[in-house]
Amino acid sequence: MNLQELLYSSYGYTSFRPGQEEIIEQVLKGRDVIALLPTGMGKSMCYQLPARLLKGSVLIVSPLLSLMQDQVAQLKKMGEKSVVAINSFATPQEKAEIWRSLHNFRFIFVSPEMLMQPFVKKQLQNLDISLVVADEAHCISQWGFDFRPDYLRIAEILPLLGNPQILALTATATAKVTEEIKSYLEIDEPFLYVHPMDRENIVYDRKKFEDPRDKIRWLLDFVGKYQGPGIIYAGTRKKSEELSSLLREQGISSSHYHGGMEHQDRIFVQQQFQNGELEWVCSTNAFGMGVHISNIRHVIHFHLPTSVEGYVQEVGRAGRDGEPALATLLHSPGDEGLMASMVLDDLPTRHEIEEVYRQGDAQDQLVSNGIVRETAYRVLSYWRTRLPMEGTIAQINMLQQQKMIQIEKMNRLVTTEGCIRKFIIECFDQELFDLPENCCLNHGIIYQEFHLRTQSASSTLKQSWQERLNALMPR
Amino acid sequence: MLFHELILSVMKFLNFERTVSSPYHLIKGKKSGQTIQDVGYYRLHPFFSVLPKLEKPVYDQAVNELYTKGYLLENEEYIHLTEKALQWKPPSYNLDGWKYRGNEQIFFKRLSLIIQTLSHVHQREKTFDPVQNSEEIQLWTRSYLQRIDFRQAEVYARFKHEVELSLAKLPIGDQQKLILTLRLSGFGVSGLTWEQISSLTDLNPMDAQLQMVETLHIWMDSLNAIEQPLLVGLLADLVQVSSLTDSAQRTLKLFSQGYSLQQIAELRKLQTSTIEDHFVELAMNDPHFNYLPFVGEELLKSIQTISSSQGTKRLRDIKIKVPDASYFQIRLSLAMKGDSQ
Repeated sequence: MNLQELLYSSYGYTSFRPGQEEIIEQVLKGRDVIALLPTGMGKSMCYQLPARLLKGSVLIVSPLLSLMQDQVAQLKKMGEKSVVAINSFATPQEKAEIWRSLHNFRFIFVSPEMLMQPFVKKQLQNLDISLVVADEAHCISQWGFDFRPDYLRIAEILPLLGNPQILALTATATAKVTEEIKSYLEIDEPFLYVHPMDRENIVYDRKKFEDPRDKIRWLLDFVGKYQGPGIIYAGTRKKSEELSSLLREQGISSSHYHGGMEHQDRIFVQQQFQNGELEWVCSTNAFGMGVHISNIRHVIHFHLPTSVEGYVQEVGRAGRDGEPALATLLHSPGDEGLMASMVLDDLPTRHEIEEVYRQGDAQDQLVSNGIVRETAYRVLSYWRTRLPMEGTIAQINMLQQQKMIQIEKMNRLVTTEGCIRKFIIECFDQELFDLPENCCLNHGIIYQEFHLRTQSASSTLKQSWQERLNALMPR
Repeated sequence: MLFHELILSVMKFLNFERTVSSPYHLIKGKKSGQTIQDVGYYRLHPFFSVLPKLEKPVYDQAVNELYTKGYLLENEEYIHLTEKALQWKPPSYNLDGWKYRGNEQIFFKRLSLIIQTLSHVHQREKTFDPVQNSEEIQLWTRSYLQRIDFRQAEVYARFKHEVELSLAKLPIGDQQKLILTLRLSGFGVSGLTWEQISSLTDLNPMDAQLQMVETLHIWMDSLNAIEQPLLVGLLADLVQVSSLTDSAQRTLKLFSQGYSLQQIAELRKLQTSTIEDHFVELAMNDPHFNYLPFVGEELLKSIQTISSSQGTKRLRDIKIKVPDASYFQIRLSLAMKGDSQ
């Protein structure tokens, strides 16, 4: 059976998406692979299909818990039953059950923190693992926007597993980050697949306002004129709530979404968006993972995002169906300063560095007592075991310089008078030769491609509980 | 019952005896010795652990409103209710927190995943994103569904019938029942967030949440194997059989094997004070608890008399009057007094 046939008989797809087949072929040849595939391009298929042919299990290291849960859910939805996630959320009974039957699973998901626990290591050592997948591999880069110190420790476990074959997957990496992935995972001659970063159906727009209040006026006018579905990204939880209620006052269905909401409420917002019951979601950057809606037409940034990478990820949630989608970046004076301070805020301060070194092993208290912030602690606890204090200070200084570059790039995204599409692509060390007709602000935007609003103002139906039950469980 | 009514109801039991934040721990269901003992002393069983996810700022805000509305007076040490609060009559309620201890949420998670699954399967939709992503809930639900043969059209109809009929019978308002159904989802029908429910019902999100807990308690209470054979299955492992905490049960087991308080503390590598908490809990729950190893008959009587005559359960006040007694002995004696009061 060839790969196409296997794809069809396993999942019912008649063809691969760009890149998948090349990557899978190389994995099956036994090569280490680094693959850059934009989100929504079916990254998981790159290990899913090989898993059917490989002898042993596939170990997927996933740095974000929510992402891991989503991937497990998606695999199960596709009919894969042999999936297990090892994370700290499992109850003791669940864990005991997992350890007992671990060797039976084809897909084993694990977080980097769990990977480092001696007991977990020992359990994994007893398994026959054919392939290690480093998902979101850009998190390895300490200079990247999404650095997870624990992730660097993947390299430590590979020898214990008998140095299995590696597949590193990421949606966003510059040439520099790709080099870092290579060196940390000790992959000498990988097959490197780089998918063009450009999403040609996404049109880049930008609106400048002298008065911040004009932003809101413009936004309300825009959502009244154009048809969703769309996402409005705001910089704070409070702003996301505020914008959403303004939209609702206009009779436009909308909800906010942020990490401060109860878990169940967040699932409901996703459901409603997916079911088309909500036209707009006003959210912080917490929204996106686990949202599998192909027809998002608009992504609006009410505030400046903190990195070009983050921006591309958020914008990339639009237009998965290939139809035109509009990305609109709003800014007013003062936004740049706010963005810069948010970027630099994450950095450990001199005081935090000193505290972490002074406290030695009793450091856990530092976070709970509010002396050191959790984000700072994550970075410092990694360096503390590897460098003297002066070394760490030097590292953090270097990190600061990188952050300044990150800020500078964002500022240029806001000010550039050249092609915005080209600018973004160049941030990822790629080149662009053909520009689509509907390209960006500085090349002219054909707004007629975006549908005007036809949906009438939403009205919430007054329902009795019996009617609601009948809607849930019809005859 | 509304959120501020809940707080005020609890405060009426604790006036001048406990701090303003103690109702918070009780409502949240903190498993500390102090909170567990207070449940027994002041008979706060209905309110224990009714909102396990309650956040302190939300509670503080509600308390602030009690100050501004003239129910509560500033007092650094104790709850100090005004005449208005003392005159206020709590509404009737259907909470039974001590019995369910937050397990009503598991009941509801099971129910919501079952209904979501039935709704999709019945409408020939094979895949969906589960509304509950806890592995434990998913595994439980899967095996339950297989057990009831959920693909049968007849089972679907019976399940719905049981839900409909048992909800209809509950002696609560229709809006309260509506809130519960709005938190369910099915094929093409999404659940509503607390905020959306709030704007639909004119209740605060917190009030809506509390009403849901109340509905679940009274609903779970009403289920029985004869009328709701399918729904009763959802109660499995959720109703606390013993009213003791797990840890106190282990202490009890060792004690009945003849170990002393000291020995139990060493054996379990716990503080003596923790084991003392367990004994107080035992004393509170068991009318035949043998207190003699810990406190003499005479001392017990004098502590209980002081407590009654002074009208206080504050340990420090009693200790001044009965200096010979240890705090543990005082707590034990008060716990023994509990229900015979």
